[in-house]
Amino acid sequence: MKKRYVPWLFLLPVLVVLLAMFGYPLLKSIVMSFQNYKLTAPDDIFFNGVENFKKLFANQETSMILRNSLAYVVISVIGQLLLGMILALALKKPFRGRGVYQSIVFLPWAFSGFVVGLIFRWSFNGEYGVVNDLLLKLGLIEEKIAWLGTPGLSLAVIIIAMIWIGIPFFAIMILAALQSIPADVYEAAEVDGCGVMRQFFQITLPYIKPTLVTTTLLRTIWIFNSFDLIVVVSGGGPANTSQTLTSYMYSAAFGSYDLGFAAAIGVMLMIVLGVYALLFLKITRYDKAGDF
Amino acid sequence: MSRKTKKRISTAIRVVIMAFFLLLVVLPVYWMVITSFKTSAEVLDLQNISYFPRKFTLENYAGLFSQYDYSVLLKNSLMVSVTSALVVTFFSMFGGYSLARFQFKGKQTVVLFFLITQMIPAILVIIPVYVAFSRMGLVNSYLGLFVYYVACNLPFCAITMRSFFERIPVTLEEAAKIDGCSRMQALFKVVFPIMFPGIVSVFVFGFIGAWNELIAGTIFISTPDMWTIPVGLKTLIGKYNVEWGMLTAGGVMALLPTAVMFAVMQKFIVEGLTSGAVKE
Amino acid sequence: MKKRFLAAILVVAMTCGIFAGCGGSGDSGNAKDGGGNQADTGNEGTEGSEGGEDAPAAGGDVTLRFLDVSPSPERQAYFEGVFADFKNETGITVNYESVPWDDAADKITVLGSSNQLPDILTVHEFWLGQLTSAGWINPLDDYVAENLASVQTTATKILMENEKNLYGHIYRIPDGLMTKGVFYRKDWVEEINYEIPTGDDWTWDAYLDLIAALTDPEQNRYGNSFRGARGAFDPIQGMYLMGYTGGYTYDEEGNFLMDTEECAAALQKWCDVYLKGYAPKDSLNWGFAEMVDNFAGGLTGTLLNDSEVTATLMSKMDESQWGVLPVPISGVDKKQYNSTGASYAYSVASSSEHPEEATQLIDFLISAKNNIEYCKMGGLIPIRTDVGDDPTYGPSGPYAVFLEELSQDNLVFPTTYGAFDYTDLHQGMLHTELQKCLLGQITAQDVLTNIGAELTTRMKAYLEANEGATVAAPLSLQ
Repeated sequence: MKKRYVPWLFLLPVLVVLLAMFGYPLLKSIVMSFQNYKLTAPDDIFFNGVENFKKLFANQETSMILRNSLAYVVISVIGQLLLGMILALALKKPFRGRGVYQSIVFLPWAFSGFVVGLIFRWSFNGEYGVVNDLLLKLGLIEEKIAWLGTPGLSLAVIIIAMIWIGIPFFAIMILAALQSIPADVYEAAEVDGCGVMRQFFQITLPYIKPTLVTTTLLRTIWIFNSFDLIVVVSGGGPANTSQTLTSYMYSAAFGSYDLGFAAAIGVMLMIVLGVYALLFLKITRYDKAGDF
Repeated sequence: MSRKTKKRISTAIRVVIMAFFLLLVVLPVYWMVITSFKTSAEVLDLQNISYFPRKFTLENYAGLFSQYDYSVLLKNSLMVSVTSALVVTFFSMFGGYSLARFQFKGKQTVVLFFLITQMIPAILVIIPVYVAFSRMGLVNSYLGLFVYYVACNLPFCAITMRSFFERIPVTLEEAAKIDGCSRMQALFKVVFPIMFPGIVSVFVFGFIGAWNELIAGTIFISTPDMWTIPVGLKTLIGKYNVEWGMLTAGGVMALLPTAVMFAVMQKFIVEGLTSGAVKE
Repeated sequence: MKKRFLAAILVVAMTCGIFAGCGGSGDSGNAKDGGGNQADTGNEGTEGSEGGEDAPAAGGDVTLRFLDVSPSPERQAYFEGVFADFKNETGITVNYESVPWDDAADKITVLGSSNQLPDILTVHEFWLGQLTSAGWINPLDDYVAENLASVQTTATKILMENEKNLYGHIYRIPDGLMTKGVFYRKDWVEEINYEIPTGDDWTWDAYLDLIAALTDPEQNRYGNSFRGARGAFDPIQGMYLMGYTGGYTYDEEGNFLMDTEECAAALQKWCDVYLKGYAPKDSLNWGFAEMVDNFAGGLTGTLLNDSEVTATLMSKMDESQWGVLPVPISGVDKKQYNSTGASYAYSVASSSEHPEEATQLIDFLISAKNNIEYCKMGGLIPIRTDVGDDPTYGPSGPYAVFLEELSQDNLVFPTTYGAFDYTDLHQGMLHTELQKCLLGQITAQDVLTNIGAELTTRMKAYLEANEGATVAAPLSLQ
């Protein structure tokens, strides 16, 4: 009887804070997405049906922006996941100096997106960027590349920066999970003559799967939602070719102060992410584990 | 192939991989650090990029303190980040415990709600929250920023904390209870001490989240004496020019505390977040 | 026992939560009292009696908030010094607040929408449409008529007149003036022995020739700090194409005038600077900072920009390296179309409870003594005639060319995009269309047609919504 409320009591502080901070904006966003709501015209707010959504779908550039978002999210997440996993596997066995090595390779996570964005923007500057200079000196390219002035390349630079920041997150999480695999499982497998690859797919992966699922899910949501790198590195340019749904919304919210339109994009974003989260959990059968 | 050659090959691969990651991280960081020690004339010399300062100078660092009151920014950032991270950690300990140890109706909904809070674009949170805060007199105050940071970092920290709890065998707790401890006593005397590395990690996550936040800091705080480091650094980007030397110097200094924290925390991860429990 | 312990812990935890959530509000009210009337304005006047009590007490302990949108240690020190003097003289305390330039427009909007604007704010020209239509700033016509009319320079007068034409009132008092000019590498020109045409021969075509001549890939030199990112269309609309329309942007009915074939041909020449490699490929995505950095760093030979840049260049380059040329004149009608503007002008927020004191502060900020000091610091031209003779603004000073520009007979101050809110266009379409052309996706004609269609729609909507409003006409010194 009394037990039923115990878990809620433990959760109470968290829930109170989150509901207070996110509940209102969440509801407000949904309402605003159906309104003509300009920050600069506080006296001229009214419901306008699905106008904001229509505007989004009528925009000629929406399909390009969607494609950009997809490329940005998918490549960043997969890049971070793979590289993070490789790094974690390399770090699994102890070696001398591991502490120092780890403090260095995990460093990118301690950076702010703003600072990373600036460093990349500056390093990839077509004229005086250190990247072109290095590539030229190494003889890998013959002419300077206008990284941030070429459609496609500017998005690539953003993705590289994003992967750079995110590797440590995956590596740390996966490494922590790897550490919790009991050593005797591997020993038994070795006795049975299991190769490295089989060990990885039959022991390691299943063991770290819950971590992989949670981390990938969270990271996807974060990456989808982050725009600081885009704003700092390329500002979405040239000609919107590195604009994603979120950065586009940022400029809609702050560029024209059209909160209604921004909220419509935000609601779309949340629907897309929500569907993704549910599908992802279903496909990975994580929901069956009873944890989610 | 003999066992020995096999081993050699795998070691070689490992070394290559590790060298790759080291370079990946070190190159941009090196570039940032080295720039922070260059004179502004050298930074701006676009025709000859120098890979080591031709004239080593501390003027950028000195400038941050003498012109920009970096110590004030540092103090503000520390204050907001430490307090919000402490509260986040404390709340996550209980929330994470609840999610890890209890089976109850609505648990999925709670986790889903956590995820949803991460899906709302920050701008759509900041503007309504600012309006609400302004009515409560919470704008241009650390308290508003503090509350915002607590809320933003809670979901991830609670979920992470839960996975830490899950790695600790329930038997430990049960044993303590058999010895006559209440649930709370078992938590404080047995579980939390074992969890210490995990708790520290969550604190670091909460700290970094607040430490690096920029937009809310810009919107919520107006008085320069109350700015946090990222906002202060952003003013180095002017309309016509960017103070690269000071900006990189500021970036290096903003990195120092978090880098030290990471150096400490990685040790816990290496030792295994659960080593104490597993070894018994 | 068990239960009680549990309950105790939870109470502690919850108290923390409540403290964090609400308990603090009272606290902070006091904590940031430096901010003065903030808490009051937040109440949206529902508690009028309380707000009212503040006002009569004015003389004694009024506290004003001042927002600077382009903070730097230098500016902060300057303003805080002036505020200290102001306090000595009037007893009014002024608190300095600021926001990084990049986020200034955003912050002002958020502050405005929640009634939190400071009493005095620094305002850029681009934000005027938005701020006035939202009704967030007060007209200052009376102040100007009473206190400024006799001492303002001609350029100041024109600036204000223009504002009045566009928005119905004067909303801003300029902090200092700037105008455009072409910064160029004197040493490069001497090196290649190039003679720059002067007077009537210094046309836009002559300028484009100079850009081509200064380009030297061998030496890694480009002719121009081309602007491709935000603001790229401004010089095209505001200066370059004006010769074809006599300074007008729209006809009487609100139709955009620059989408003609002639203009498209001219725009193509402009785009050729980029397409023919007279500017770095990277410049497609350059903003202000990159333009100036690349010029100061020795990569580009010319830079069309505000006189305000003078201060930056003086600190970064050697005197022998660079010089200033006037804005080229139109090859069509031989007029110089050049804008004059304030870098950031002062406005009084309509939510201010002390508008009189706020105006008093502005008056103090632009007093002869403060104005010249401020202008010298920021690389601006004083807004008034009674600042005395200072060599900085003499015939051999760094601003000579600009000052001369502002006194020339053929100078015309052209019209702007309009009085409507165009911030979103400025953040998007105006430069992205141009970028598409530079990438070869659309033609120069398309750029002007597309932009023209959007501007025409907005101008017509504006004319329709504001009865009696007319399309602005260009102004000149006569």
